[in-house]
Amino acid sequence: MSRFRVPGRGRVNPDRPVTFRFDGRPVQGCEGDTVASALLANGIHLMGRSFKYHRPRGAVAAGSEEPNALINTRRGPGRAEPNTRATMQEIWPGLEARPQNCWPRLSFDLGAVNDRAYMLFSAGFYYKTFMWPRSFWDKLYEPVIRAAAGLGVSPSEEDPDTYASRYLHTDVLVVGAGPAGLAAARTAAEAGLRVVLVDEHAEAGGTLLSEPQARIAGLPAWDWLTAELAALKALGVRVMTRTTAIGYYHQNMIGLCQRLTDHLAELPADTPRERMWRLRAARVVLAQGALEKPLVFDGNDRPGVMLAGAAQTYLHRFGVRVGDRPVILTSHDSAWHAAFDLQDAGAKVAAIVDTRAAPPAALAGEAQARGIRVLAGFTATATSGRLRVRSVRVHPVSAGTVGAGEEIACDCLLMSGGWTPSLHLFSHTKGSLAWDEDRTTFLPADTPEDCVIAGAGRGLWGIAATLADGAEKGAEVAASLGRGASAPALPVEGDRTGSGTSHTELATDRSPSRARAFVDFQNDVTAKDLRLAVREGMRSIEHVKRYTTNGMATDQGKMSNINGLNIAADALGRAQPKVGLTTFRPPYTPTSFGAFAGYHRGGHFEVTRRTAIDPLAEAAGAVFEPVGQWRRARYFPRPGEDMDTAVARECRATRTAIGMFDASTLGKIEVVGPDAVEFMNRMYTNPWTKLQPGRCRYGLLLGDDGFIRDDGVIGRLAHDRFHVTTTTGGAARVLNMMEDYLQTEWPELDVWLTSTTEQWSTIALNGPRVAELLRPLVEGVTLTEEAFPHMSVAECTVAGMPARLFRVSFTGETGFEVNVPAPMGPALWQRLAEAGAPLGLTPYGTEAMHVMRAEKGYIIVGQDTDGTVTPADAGLTWAVGKAKPDFVGKRGLARPDLTAPGRRQLVGLLTEDGTTLLEEGAQIVLDPAQPVPMKMVGHVTSAYRSEAAGRPIALALVEGGHGRMGETVHIPMPDRTIAATITGCVFHDPENTRLKLAAPGGDA
Amino acid sequence: MTPDLSAPGPLAESAAAKLSLAVPCARLSLRARGAAVAPLSAALGLTLPERIGTRASTAAGDTEALRLGPDEWVLHATPAALPGLLAACAALSPEHPHSAVDISGRELTLVLEGPRAAELLTLGMPRDPDSIAPGEGRRTLFDGVSVVLWREADTRFRMDIWHSFAPHLASLLATGCAELAAETA
Amino acid sequence: MLLIHCPYCDETLPELEFAHAGEAHVARPENPSAQSDAEWEEFLFIRRNVKGPHYERWRHTHGCGRFFNAVRDTVSDRFLATYPAGAPRPSLASLTGESE
Ligand SMILES: [Zn+2]
Repeated sequence: MSRFRVPGRGRVNPDRPVTFRFDGRPVQGCEGDTVASALLANGIHLMGRSFKYHRPRGAVAAGSEEPNALINTRRGPGRAEPNTRATMQEIWPGLEARPQNCWPRLSFDLGAVNDRAYMLFSAGFYYKTFMWPRSFWDKLYEPVIRAAAGLGVSPSEEDPDTYASRYLHTDVLVVGAGPAGLAAARTAAEAGLRVVLVDEHAEAGGTLLSEPQARIAGLPAWDWLTAELAALKALGVRVMTRTTAIGYYHQNMIGLCQRLTDHLAELPADTPRERMWRLRAARVVLAQGALEKPLVFDGNDRPGVMLAGAAQTYLHRFGVRVGDRPVILTSHDSAWHAAFDLQDAGAKVAAIVDTRAAPPAALAGEAQARGIRVLAGFTATATSGRLRVRSVRVHPVSAGTVGAGEEIACDCLLMSGGWTPSLHLFSHTKGSLAWDEDRTTFLPADTPEDCVIAGAGRGLWGIAATLADGAEKGAEVAASLGRGASAPALPVEGDRTGSGTSHTELATDRSPSRARAFVDFQNDVTAKDLRLAVREGMRSIEHVKRYTTNGMATDQGKMSNINGLNIAADALGRAQPKVGLTTFRPPYTPTSFGAFAGYHRGGHFEVTRRTAIDPLAEAAGAVFEPVGQWRRARYFPRPGEDMDTAVARECRATRTAIGMFDASTLGKIEVVGPDAVEFMNRMYTNPWTKLQPGRCRYGLLLGDDGFIRDDGVIGRLAHDRFHVTTTTGGAARVLNMMEDYLQTEWPELDVWLTSTTEQWSTIALNGPRVAELLRPLVEGVTLTEEAFPHMSVAECTVAGMPARLFRVSFTGETGFEVNVPAPMGPALWQRLAEAGAPLGLTPYGTEAMHVMRAEKGYIIVGQDTDGTVTPADAGLTWAVGKAKPDFVGKRGLARPDLTAPGRRQLVGLLTEDGTTLLEEGAQIVLDPAQPVPMKMVGHVTSAYRSEAAGRPIALALVEGGHGRMGETVHIPMPDRTIAATITGCVFHDPENTRLKLAAPGGDA
Repeated sequence: MTPDLSAPGPLAESAAAKLSLAVPCARLSLRARGAAVAPLSAALGLTLPERIGTRASTAAGDTEALRLGPDEWVLHATPAALPGLLAACAALSPEHPHSAVDISGRELTLVLEGPRAAELLTLGMPRDPDSIAPGEGRRTLFDGVSVVLWREADTRFRMDIWHSFAPHLASLLATGCAELAAETA
Repeated sequence: MLLIHCPYCDETLPELEFAHAGEAHVARPENPSAQSDAEWEEFLFIRRNVKGPHYERWRHTHGCGRFFNAVRDTVSDRFLATYPAGAPRPSLASLTGESE
């Protein structure tokens, strides 16, 4: 058995030894140990190096507030976690734990030179040291600081673990499974409420785990705990351990991070590493207890200097004696019990040093009975020891005068500066705090949430008081939810109540400027730093915090905030409540990004929408691109083809034979009802009244500001029914906008909107031979120029499938769009591919679609427009029904700025060398010789190589562009300036002769 | 883990829950308000339910309606019943203004059943599953996607999903089936 | 994450089912073309940006689909009331118990 393990003590299992590695060496602990308790059982106090000065540090606490003992835990590649608190990490066989912030090794760290140069690193040193010269900041200071800064090292491999999340709804959430939380949960559950009880530790019990001497309701504390947990289980209470309430959000939503596998040697199948619960509770009971404060004196950070309460936890919960020869240094009664218990466990307590002149006589009597030396009214001014404390120097203090010192040898120094309620979650609720002068601490006051605090969190002390308070609060919560409940009285024997006093720095006989009395261990902030900040003009506690970085480390100042406040208030000469506390923010303890991401990583990162035809495109070797949430086939390369070659071939096939395109992602909205045409008249710029059923029209949608929002072809199927199409990316937005106007501006209209985007698979067929393909397949409509002219729509069958057939074109060629019920899309695609093969049918993707529409000057909303483009700017004045009394955007179009000269207007651009392809987004200037910064008059919105035009083409928005036809503009690029001529937007078949349908039997 | 949604049948199964793809059915989005509702009820052979979230069926059981909004119902029917439903609605125009749109092709339905089916929903549904009583239904959110949920029994749900979102949601539900079972073990 | 009561569903549900839709009671003028530039500017762009109780619109996007109105305190982020679109605005005094 390890040297410092106390037989018969603790809840670890001595029959189940566990070997793990620390700092490269094997260490043996027991099942149930944390890394910290196992190391302490082996006499190892040195666990890490501090962040700034690289000072040797040991565990100072036993819980999640631990600032010093940060380790990197590893479980093979990618499974490495920096900044793990050794006090929380349970050991398992094979665990690899490495200390941080030290090189080449923990016991000899080169970075410790910072410690000797500490005078340079005082408060605000970043601001002072690196002020000048300015140019040094970017080149020298910042890179060096960045390289040296940061806690731990994050892994560079991908994390192979999985993470999960769940929602949970409950009547009552109790945070903290100590006596108050257990009693609250029991009372609320007995009242018939759904209760969730969470605790961040591996087992429930809280302080009861460290106080086995107590007897509750006649049972030893641990037996009572076992029975109580069984009772809670029987009542259906969900008890979740290893679960940290990380944040308290609006209306009682609590984030809970549950750690599921970090304590296991073997990773179970189908089990995430962590799960984030988003829990909503009707009522919350915060029973998070209190945190012990360190005392502030020179050398209070040496390994072996630890909180007395932590020593108690190591002894009682883990069966570990943290030293053989402890000195207790305290201003609070509670630490005396650590002395007594350690003495009883075989240690030889060198002294109890109490800063108070007259500690309770009962305690003094007990010390005397055990033969422990007591020094009352004493201070500590220094410790010695390099990697472990070896002695402490103590002095009597009388009437403010520090007397002669005495060096007391010790192998650990157990301190207590009293206790601070853990109010972090309460503070997340924007709860107000009230200063309690007696306890020298803040206590919870009011909160806007349905939340109560129970137990030590509101300053109560001892098991009896917290049990009673928990039960009372449980009953209070039950009553507020309409349930009667009674809080049972639980007699407690062996309770340890007590009180104490509070200090700033302990009195010293040395120059305060030389004292290294740490307040914030993790950020290496000393009392001297805080006083310096005040001397240098910081008045607000928030400024003091940022100037010194006190409380800004990953522990968020759990141990340092109150000491920091007391010292700052003293330096400012103002009372603590006048100075105020800094803000606590979620998360309560550091939380992995994985827990926040949950399931949303890898292939599940976000939704990828695929059309019904997508699998056929994939089988055909399509290259895809994301468009909104959709993935769309961009082009269909044949072996050896790059994108440009494939796109050119697809365009050529479409312009000479038939191109087939999956247009299913187009947004579709069915507008139905007797007022459908009135609604369309009000929404779209175009007039709809005279559009006959069976005909289509290009529709343009504006915002009321007059700018283009969306466009698409709209077919009238019946007097009361329109088939509206929108852009792919605009579908949801347009439907929302339409619903908004319909529901809130025109609720009198009898018309309804239904999204049919996914009802239909839409296949666009374009090209001179398209009629040849479709005529044998279409029934119910005659495909002639007379019977079914351009911009017609009909309900019919295509290849035997019920279809809505549109005669439209987005390429300038004769075009159809066949809509069939979505699940039939693949069958239709295959049927058309087979029937079209002899005619030269070629599938094309979005890239060829973009090229061909640009050749015709058809805009893409969102590419050629950017939310500041009017119909006139885009050359679409013809689509605006000026005779209509109103439509969305009509008044907007008359705004002065929208009619002013010099607006950016959509034009064509042809590079003057006839070969250069412009870059989309490139800026345009009129005079290339002007000095920089040049006046930019527009930008390129679309640019493609066009075989049909025989040269690269582009569209651009240019100031006053419509009046600049034939002018030369310039596009400055990093390596040269390109000259281009402004033209119209149509580069191919300006007379639209190719839209015509060849007569049946005629050659195309 | 993306289940194959090409044919109806089981997709994932564990001791905790089973996920399967339902046989396709006919679906109708029906919109109407005020005085038009009663004639529609008569024409469809069921009483269109009044409270959002409640359901009603025809006597023959071949059509079921769920109220989704103040003027909105979704109807599930056997494919054979659909033409009759559409015709019955069409016959009421224009005297009784309404909108009936065939959305059979828009969606598919996943079936979640098993002892922990309700918990399976909590992987992605922010609202409390207990707030939807057996025999009711709601449009709600699952993993950021709008779905319509029908609670058939304590331990059985149907979830209507637009086709393009279904693989994403089915993948999470399948993950959940395994995760919940591992938790039980 | 807030809880929002939908006046149409008559249920209190997580914020994720809803979408915020800007200030409420900004009615589109009956005849926009008769509006002066200043009036139209006011309608399009000028919003109150209230610190405190704010009349605003929400949509139960992933539920019943309806737009409705709400009074939310922008300081405390608490909903004081929700009510159907078209209903008159409730007086603040009746919601906060104070005189306006
Ligand atoms: Zn609603």
